[in-house]
Amino acid sequence: MFLRLVADSFTRRPRRKILSMAALAMGMAVATAALSVSLDVGDRLAEEFRSLGANLLVTPQADSLPLEIGGVDYRPANAGAYLPEANLGKLKTIFWRFNIMAFAPILQSPGQLLPGNVTDHKPSDYTDIQILGTWSNHSVPVPDGTTYVTGIEKTNPWWTVDGRWFHEGQTECVVGSLLAKRKGLHIGDKILLNVPDPSKMVQLFLPYMVTGILSTGSSEEDAVVVSLADAQKLARLPQVYRRLYVSALTKPEDAFARKDPKTMTPAEFDKWYCTPYISAIALQISEELKGTDVRVIRRVAEGEGNVLSRVRTLLWLVTFAALLAAALAVGASAAASVIERRTEIGLMKALGANSGLVGVLLAAEQLLLAFVGGGIGYAVGILLARALGERIFGFTPEPKLFVLLVILALAALITLIGSAYPLLRASRYDPAPILRGE
Amino acid sequence: MAASPMFWRIIRRLLTANYGRLFVILLALGAGAAVTSALLNLQIDAKKRLTTEFRALGANVIVAPRTTTTDEANGSTLDESLLSQLPSQYEAHSVPAVGFLYVIGEIAKAGEIHFEPAVIAGTQGHGLAEIRPGRRTQYLANLESDPASCEAGAKAAEQFKVQAGDVLQLRNQGREANCKIFAVVQTGGPEDTQIFTNLKTAQTLANLPGRISLIQLSVTGTPASVTSFVSALAQRLPEADVHGIKQFTEAEGRIYDRISGILSATVLLVLFLTSLCVMAGMSNVAVERKNDVGLMKAIGGSIEKVVHLFLTEAILLGIAGGVVGSAIGLLVSIWLGKAVFGVAAQPRLIVYPISVVLTIITSIASAFPLRRLASIRPASVFRGEE
Repeated sequence: MFLRLVADSFTRRPRRKILSMAALAMGMAVATAALSVSLDVGDRLAEEFRSLGANLLVTPQADSLPLEIGGVDYRPANAGAYLPEANLGKLKTIFWRFNIMAFAPILQSPGQLLPGNVTDHKPSDYTDIQILGTWSNHSVPVPDGTTYVTGIEKTNPWWTVDGRWFHEGQTECVVGSLLAKRKGLHIGDKILLNVPDPSKMVQLFLPYMVTGILSTGSSEEDAVVVSLADAQKLARLPQVYRRLYVSALTKPEDAFARKDPKTMTPAEFDKWYCTPYISAIALQISEELKGTDVRVIRRVAEGEGNVLSRVRTLLWLVTFAALLAAALAVGASAAASVIERRTEIGLMKALGANSGLVGVLLAAEQLLLAFVGGGIGYAVGILLARALGERIFGFTPEPKLFVLLVILALAALITLIGSAYPLLRASRYDPAPILRGE
Repeated sequence: MAASPMFWRIIRRLLTANYGRLFVILLALGAGAAVTSALLNLQIDAKKRLTTEFRALGANVIVAPRTTTTDEANGSTLDESLLSQLPSQYEAHSVPAVGFLYVIGEIAKAGEIHFEPAVIAGTQGHGLAEIRPGRRTQYLANLESDPASCEAGAKAAEQFKVQAGDVLQLRNQGREANCKIFAVVQTGGPEDTQIFTNLKTAQTLANLPGRISLIQLSVTGTPASVTSFVSALAQRLPEADVHGIKQFTEAEGRIYDRISGILSATVLLVLFLTSLCVMAGMSNVAVERKNDVGLMKAIGGSIEKVVHLFLTEAILLGIAGGVVGSAIGLLVSIWLGKAVFGVAAQPRLIVYPISVVLTIITSIASAFPLRRLASIRPASVFRGEE
C-alpha cells in the first residue's frame, strides 16, 4: 500500500513531478559540471603554467661564478665546471618522475661564424657569436630501459622557430632572428661555425645548414643554436653540459612547504618529501645528479603558486555558489510541492494515518524524486562539463564516481531539508478544516 | 488597460494570501539575484586582480639600447635620464621601474687579496623587489639606505663566503670601491650570482657616469593593455628599444585568457542555470494557481486580464527579490573578494541594476507557464478534476 501510494503520486500527476524533477536535475547538473571542472582544472592550469618555462635550474656545484648578463655568460670558454650528460636519464627515476614535464641541458660557448659560400677566409670575416648547444626532440635513455623524449621546445615554449628545429646528428642549426637579419641568413643557407682553439694555428670550421630562424625575445636571438652533441664537438668538451633547465609540475607552496626540511620531524619530512613541492623535487633531483646545485627559479615558481592558489579558491567558490543556488532552488521547489498537497494530507489523516506515516510517505516520495532528478542532473552535468572543458582547455574531464555520489547525497539532503519544515507542518494539520477547503 | 482599484486589490490578495508560498518564491528569486550579483561582481574583480597577481613574475617590459651587440660585456648604454621620463602610473597601478648598469668587475671579501670576477649590477629606481622577485635573507634594514651598501646574490655570497654585515671590495680596471652587504637575495636566476650596488658605485667602477645598461619595468594590466603600454613608451623613447619579455608576456596572455575564460564560462553557466532553477521552482507554484484562474474565469475575467494580473504579480515579486537579493549578493562578494584575494572586492554599481533586471526577467519568464491556463475550463477545475 505504501509503495502504491508513492507510485500513484508519480503516475497521477506526472507534469507536476516532472517540473520538480526538472528543477532538481538542473540544479544538480550545474553542481556536477562545476564540481567536475573544479576537480580537474587545477591540474590543467598547473600544466598551462609550464608555458612560463622551467622552474628549476641545475648548475655544477663546484662552478666558478657565472658572469651572466642578459642571458650571455662572459666567462672564458675553459673556465668553470661541467656536468656529465650521461646521468640525465636519472631525472626520470626520482620519486616525482611523472611531474618532470621536460628538461633540457645547455652548453654555451663563444664562437665564430662564417657565411657558407666563403672558401678562402681571413680572421676579419669572422663574426663573434654565442653558440648554444641543446636538445630538440631528443630521446633520453632512462635507466629503467625506456626512453623519454624532451627538448628545449618543451622547457621554453615561448621560443618560436620559423622553419623547423634541427635534427640531431644532421649538422643542422637554428639561427637567432637578430643574427639572421644582421648577416642576411635564410632557411636553407649554409654557415660555418667554430669555437676558437688557441692551441691551434689553423682554425677548423664545420659546416651547418640553417633549418630555422629562432625568436625568443632575449639574447638567444643573437646566437646560433645547434644540437648538444654538435656544441660539444665544436667546443671540444665531449659529453658535458653546463646548465640544465627542468620544468616540473608542482603543488603551490604553503606554510608547511616553507619550513626548513632540516628542522622537520621524520614524519613531517616524509610528508614533505612525498608532496610535489618544488623544493622537494629540487632535493630529489640533487640526490640523483651528484655534484649539482638545484635552484628554484623563484619568479616562475612563485608567480605560478600565487595565481594558481587564488584561482583554485575562486573556482571552489564558484562551485560552492552553484551548489548553494541549486540547493535553494531545489529546496524551494520541494517546499512548494509539499505545501500544495495539503488536501491529500488532510484526507490521509482523516482516513487514519498518523503524522509519522504521512511524513515518511512524503519523504520517501521526495527521496525518490531526488535520486531520479540527481541522476539525470549528473548525466546532463557531465555533458556540460565536457563541453566546458573542451571549449576552454581542450580536454574532457573524466566522469568520476565520487562526483556522482556527492551529487546524489546532496540531492537527497537538499530535498529533505527543503521539505522538512513544510512536512513538519503538514504532519500537524488538522484534517477537518483542510477538507472543508478552508 | 487601466489598472482599476480592484486590480490592485486582487494583486494584494494574491501576494498576501499565502505567506508560506510568498516566502518560498521570494527566497528562490532572492537567492538567484544574490548569486547573480555576487558572481558578476567577483568575476569583474577577479580579472583585474589576476593581472596584479601576475606581477609576482617580475619585470615584463625592458627598455634597452637600440643596438645590442653581445660582443662586448660593457657594450652600449642608455642615458640615466630616461628613468625620469617613465610614467610612474599606468591604469591606476604604479609602475615599478629600475635602471641597471652591469659591470664585470673583480670582487673579494674585505681583507682578502684573492679577487674573483663577478657581475656587479648598479641599480636605481623604485620597486626593485617587484622587478626582481625572490627572497631576501639576512636582511639588515638599517643598512639599506646607506649609499655604500649592497646586496649579494645567494650564489655570490656563497662563493665569496660573506654574509649580511660583511664588507666587499669591488674593483674594475684600477677603479675601486667598497660596499657593505645588507641582504642576501635568492631568485634562482642569474641574479643569484650578481652583486647589487647603488647605481653611482657601478658607474664609477665602469667609468660610465650617467649611463645605464637597461631599464626593467613591471607593468600591471591585461596582455592587451601591456602591449599598448609598450608601444606608447616606444614612441616616447625613440632612442631606446622597448619590448616585452616574451617569456612572461606570452605565457601571461595565455594563462590570463584561460582563467578568464573559465571564470566567464562557469559564471555564465551558474547564472543560466540559477535562473532556470528559479523558473522551475516558480512554475511549480504557478500550476497551483489553477483554482484562482478557474474562479476568475467563472466570474467573467478575460484571459488577457488574468495573465496581466499574474505578470504584474511576477514583476512585483521580481523587483522585491531582485532588490534585496542583489544587495545581499554585492555585500557577499566584498567578503568573498577578501577570502580569495586578500583584498575586499570593490562593489561595482553597474552590477546591481543588471542583476535586478535579470531577476525581474527571470520572474516574468517563470510566469509564462500561466499561458497554459488559458485553456482551463472553470467547471472541471471546480469539480476537482485536473
